[in-house]
Amino acid sequence: MSEAAQVSVAPIVRLRDVSKAYFRAGMRLPVLEHVDLEIAEGSFIAFMGPSGSGKSTLLNLISGLDRPTEGVVEVAGRDLGRLSDGELAEWRAANVGFIFQLYNLIPVLTAAENVELPLLLAPLNRAERRRHVAAALDLVGLSPRVHHRPTQLSGGEQQRVAIARAIVTDPRLIIADEPTGDLDRKGAEQVLDMLQELHRALRRTIVMVTHDPHAAERADLVRHLEKGRLL
Amino acid sequence: MTLGQLAFKDLLRNPTRLLLTVLATGIGVLAFVFLQTVISVFYSGLAVTQPDRLAVRSKISITQPLPLSYKRRIESVPGVTRITYAGWFGGRMSETREDFFPNFYVDKATYLKVYDEYVAPADQLAAWMADPCGAMAGKSLAERFDWQIGDRVTLKNAVYPGEWTFTVRGIYAGRTPQIDTTLFAFGYRCINERLPEELRDYVGIYTIVVDDPARSAQVAAQIDAMFANSAYPTRTESERSFQMSFIAMSSAILTAVRIVAYGVLLILLLVVGNTLAMNVREKTVDLATLRALGFRRRHVAALVLVESLVIGLAGAAVGLLLAPPVLSGFVRVVSESFGPIGTVVITGPTYALALGASVGVALLAGLLPALRAARLQVAEGLRRIA
Ligand SMILES: Nc1ncnc2c1ncn2[C@@H]1O[C@H](COP(=O)(O)OP(=O)(O)O)[C@@H](O)[C@H]1O
Ligand SMILES: [Mg+2]
Repeated sequence: MSEAAQVSVAPIVRLRDVSKAYFRAGMRLPVLEHVDLEIAEGSFIAFMGPSGSGKSTLLNLISGLDRPTEGVVEVAGRDLGRLSDGELAEWRAANVGFIFQLYNLIPVLTAAENVELPLLLAPLNRAERRRHVAAALDLVGLSPRVHHRPTQLSGGEQQRVAIARAIVTDPRLIIADEPTGDLDRKGAEQVLDMLQELHRALRRTIVMVTHDPHAAERADLVRHLEKGRLL
Repeated sequence: MTLGQLAFKDLLRNPTRLLLTVLATGIGVLAFVFLQTVISVFYSGLAVTQPDRLAVRSKISITQPLPLSYKRRIESVPGVTRITYAGWFGGRMSETREDFFPNFYVDKATYLKVYDEYVAPADQLAAWMADPCGAMAGKSLAERFDWQIGDRVTLKNAVYPGEWTFTVRGIYAGRTPQIDTTLFAFGYRCINERLPEELRDYVGIYTIVVDDPARSAQVAAQIDAMFANSAYPTRTESERSFQMSFIAMSSAILTAVRIVAYGVLLILLLVVGNTLAMNVREKTVDLATLRALGFRRRHVAALVLVESLVIGLAGAAVGLLLAPPVLSGFVRVVSESFGPIGTVVITGPTYALALGASVGVALLAGLLPALRAARLQVAEGLRRIA
C-alpha cells in the first residue's frame, strides 16, 4: 500500500537477521530463520501464515517477551538484547500493550480492576488511575460494565476489556496475537473496528497476527510467514 | 486497587480450597499446641521444684515410712536450714474411681515454710493452722467438688481404719499457673493421735532446704550415712530426681509425643506446599500475563508468599482459638476417668511457638512455589491453555 511513505518514517521496530531456535534432545528446531523486518511508527501491520509458522514467536520477540537465538531486535529505539530481565519488564510496561487470543483477563478481578493492572506499576495515585481506567473503558464502550467479572461478559466484551487494558498506559506499540481468533463474526468486527480506530485516530502502531483474511484486510500492510521465514 | 489488594483478591480464586487449607493448618496447629501442652503438664511438676530442696525417703521403698524421730537428727546436719514432713494418706470419699483426689498429711507448722509456692489468704491460713483436722484444698479441687470454707469432707482409708472427717479451712492457689492446685492437705497430728500405738510416729517423706544447693550432694550423703545401719535406711535426693523417678517410665512416651508434634508440622508443610503449588500451576497463564504487562519476578513471587502468609496466620488463629476449649474438654474427660491431672495451662511460649511454627511452615511451604512463579518463562507461560 503506502510503502513509499513508510520509508520516510523512522521505524519503531527493526529486526536484523533474527533467528529463533529451540533445542530438544540435542536437535536444533528452527522456528524463525534470518528475519529482517522494519515496521514504521504509526502503521497497522498484520502477519499471516499457517499454524506453527512462527507468528507468535515473532510477536514475542518484538514485544520483549522472548529473546532471539541470534540477531538484533530494536524496538522504540532500544536494543532489547541489552536489557536485563527487570529492565525489559519495565520497558514492556511503558511501551507495549498486549491483546491475546483468549483475552487473558484475571478472573477474580472486575473489568475496571483488570484495566487498572498495568497502572499499578506506574507512579500514579488512586484518583489518576481511576480516571485513566474510566477513559479507557469509555473508549471501548464498556463504561456500564466496569464492575463485571470476566465470566459475566461475552467473549467480545472481554476482548474489549483487554483492549482497554492494552491502551490504558498509552503505549507506543500494541501487540495483538489472533485477537479475533476466539470471537464470533460480530464480536470480531467490533474488535477490529476498535483497533482500526486506535490506529487512525490515535496513530498507535499495531502489530497483529491473524489467520483470518477479513481481519488482515483491516491492516494497512500484510506480511506472510511460512516455516519461520518472512516472505 | 493497590498491589496489596491485588494479592488479597488473588486469594479468592478458589475460596473452598483456601478455607480447607486454613482449616487443615488450624487443626495442625491445634494438635501441635495440644501435644506440647500435654508434655509440659508432665514436666510442670519438675519446673517448680527448687534446686535447694531435697527429699529424704526410705531407701527400701517409696512406700516405706520413716520414723518421726529422724526429724531432729536430720535437722542437726550442717547445711540443713529447714525441714518438713508429709505423707500420702490415700483416702477415698467412696469406692468409685471418679471422686479420687490426691490427699496427704503434712506438718502444718513447717510445711508452707518449705513449700512457699502455695498461697492462701492469711485468715484461712490461721484457721488451718489452728485445727489439726482442718484441711487446705487446692483451688481447682475445691471448684471440682464445689467445696466452701467450713465444708466437711469424710474419707475412708484401708491403711488407717475408720472414717476420717476433715473440715475445709482454706483454699490455696499457686504462685504461678503451673502449680498443682488439685491437692488436699491436713495435719499430721489429726491422723497420728488416732492411730494404734504400733503405727504411730511414722511419716512418709521429709523435705529439707539446704543453704547452698552446690553442697546438696554432700548434705545428702551425710544424712544417708547417718541412717545407713539403722532399721530405716534413707535415700536423699534432689526433689527433681525424686519426682523424676515417678515419670522416668513415661519419658519414652513423652519423646514419642514430641516427635509426633513435630511430625504434625511436617505434614502441614506438605499440605500447604501442595495447595500453593497447585495454585501456582493453575494460574500460570495469569502469572505470565502479569509478567507480560510489566510485573517483575518479585511481584509474582510476592503474590504466592502473601497467600502462604495468610494461610499461616489464619491457620494459627483457628488453631489457637480452638486450643483452650479442646484442652479443657480433654482435662475434664481425663480427670473423670483417671482422676485429676495437674493444672493445665497453655503457656505464652507455647502460643508463640505455635504461631511461629504455623507462619514459618507456611512461608517455607510457599518458598518453592514462589520460586517457580518467579522463574516462569513468560512466553512459555502464555502458551499454556488454562
Ligand atoms: N518451547 C518450545 N519448544 C519447542 N518448540 C516450540 C516451543 N515453543 C514453540 N515451539 C514451536 O515453534 C513453532 C512456532 O510456534 P508459534 O510461533 O507459536 O507458531 P504460530 O503462532 O505461527 O502458530 C511451532 O512449531 C511450535 O511447536
Ligand atoms: Mg500463535
